[in-house]
Amino acid sequence: MNHSVCTYPGDRDEALVTFLYDDRSLDGERAAFGTHLASCGVCRDELDALKAVRGQLGRWNPPEPTFAITFSDPPARQSTHQQSPIGHHQWWKAVPAWAQVAAALLFVGVSAAIANLDVRYDQQGLRVRTGWSQPREAAPGAATAVAQTPARPGAAPWKADLTALEQQLKAEMRVVRAGPATAQVQPAAVHGGDADVVRRVRALVDESEKRQQRELALRIAELLRDVNVQRQADLAKVNRALGAVENNLGVEVLKTRQQVNLMYRASQVVR
Amino acid sequence: MTWTDEELVARSIGGDSESFNELVLRWERPIYALAYRTIGREEDARDVCQETFLRAFRALPGFRGQAKFSSWLYRIALNLCRDWIRRERRAPIVQPPEDVDVMELAAASEPSESIEDLVARKDLSRAVEKAMALLPDEQRTAIVLKEYHGLTFQEIAELLGCPLSTVKTRLYQGLTVLRRELAKGEATRTKATL
Repeated sequence: MNHSVCTYPGDRDEALVTFLYDDRSLDGERAAFGTHLASCGVCRDELDALKAVRGQLGRWNPPEPTFAITFSDPPARQSTHQQSPIGHHQWWKAVPAWAQVAAALLFVGVSAAIANLDVRYDQQGLRVRTGWSQPREAAPGAATAVAQTPARPGAAPWKADLTALEQQLKAEMRVVRAGPATAQVQPAAVHGGDADVVRRVRALVDESEKRQQRELALRIAELLRDVNVQRQADLAKVNRALGAVENNLGVEVLKTRQQVNLMYRASQVVR
Repeated sequence: MTWTDEELVARSIGGDSESFNELVLRWERPIYALAYRTIGREEDARDVCQETFLRAFRALPGFRGQAKFSSWLYRIALNLCRDWIRRERRAPIVQPPEDVDVMELAAASEPSESIEDLVARKDLSRAVEKAMALLPDEQRTAIVLKEYHGLTFQEIAELLGCPLSTVKTRLYQGLTVLRRELAKGEATRTKATL
């Protein structure tokens, strides 16, 4: 056994590292060096020393991290528009405010058109109803009263049209009730009247939809603006309060740390 | 059910963002530890970690599985660390002077540990950190990947783009320097306590 000179035939440093790390992919190399180790004190000593170094390396741990990484958009879509995906609750903030409002209005407008939504805001407060939940006064029984009431000068123009349309419908119904003979006398007139009625009804419905959409869009825009203003004000308040708390806390912690460090050093000196 | 990295990658590419979050959860600590041990600063290590996942997320549709996902992630992180080190050399940030901070020590202590053990442990950890900082980048990286991340020599060679024998040489040289520096530090500490 030779303790001062190593006679390993290959690259001894590489073989030592391979043996040290027990890399399974290099078993042949490890076995050869293992045989050598049995007869070489120099390599054994160095191997032990390096094992000790590895033991010391194991004591070095990074500080505990605080992570908040979350991803929300699928990568395929993300790659087309290079926005930061960190913080999935934040993604919509990257979209400009005007675009968000426009999208919201478009969505609500379409929904309102489908649902025939009617939003009213008056002294009685905010009222929302759909085309499928008409109020009682719009029932057929009440239609006569509306029809007999002349349109007020300040009323919307579509009301006059509606009244005229109702009267026409009633007249046609009377003709039909009067008997089939009478009805057969003027078929062309009736059919021409139907087409006209349908056209006018469509025009009225279209106009009504547009008006409802405009009103709803206005209300929602106002609501969004109010919420945003309130949110900004609240955030500013919270920021101010947090800043004040952090300042106070920071000063207190600093003072305490200084005191404890002073006591620690004093105790070291006394020892 | 536990998905493999490769399965999660495939699902992420298909648009399932939860799968990518799962990958982040699985790998954020190792990547952070790699970054911290390579660049030695907590806050910057955190930034590197976040940036690594951000880049991985963006580049995921182009990931074809030529390498393991973890190796790919390590490569991104190491490149970022390299950039950071290069930037740091150009404009080094002044570090605050180190001091014994009992509050910090106390926060990291275990209930049964005495203050002497605590200080000794902290000292050793600091000594290792200092010794590691003395190593050239390539030796330090090789040691970090092998020692703390358990990569094979072959994986390290592929990751660093160098021959297998170079990896082993770097490891050997790095460990030898650490051995010398740690012994020196231990002698100094022993002298100080006497």
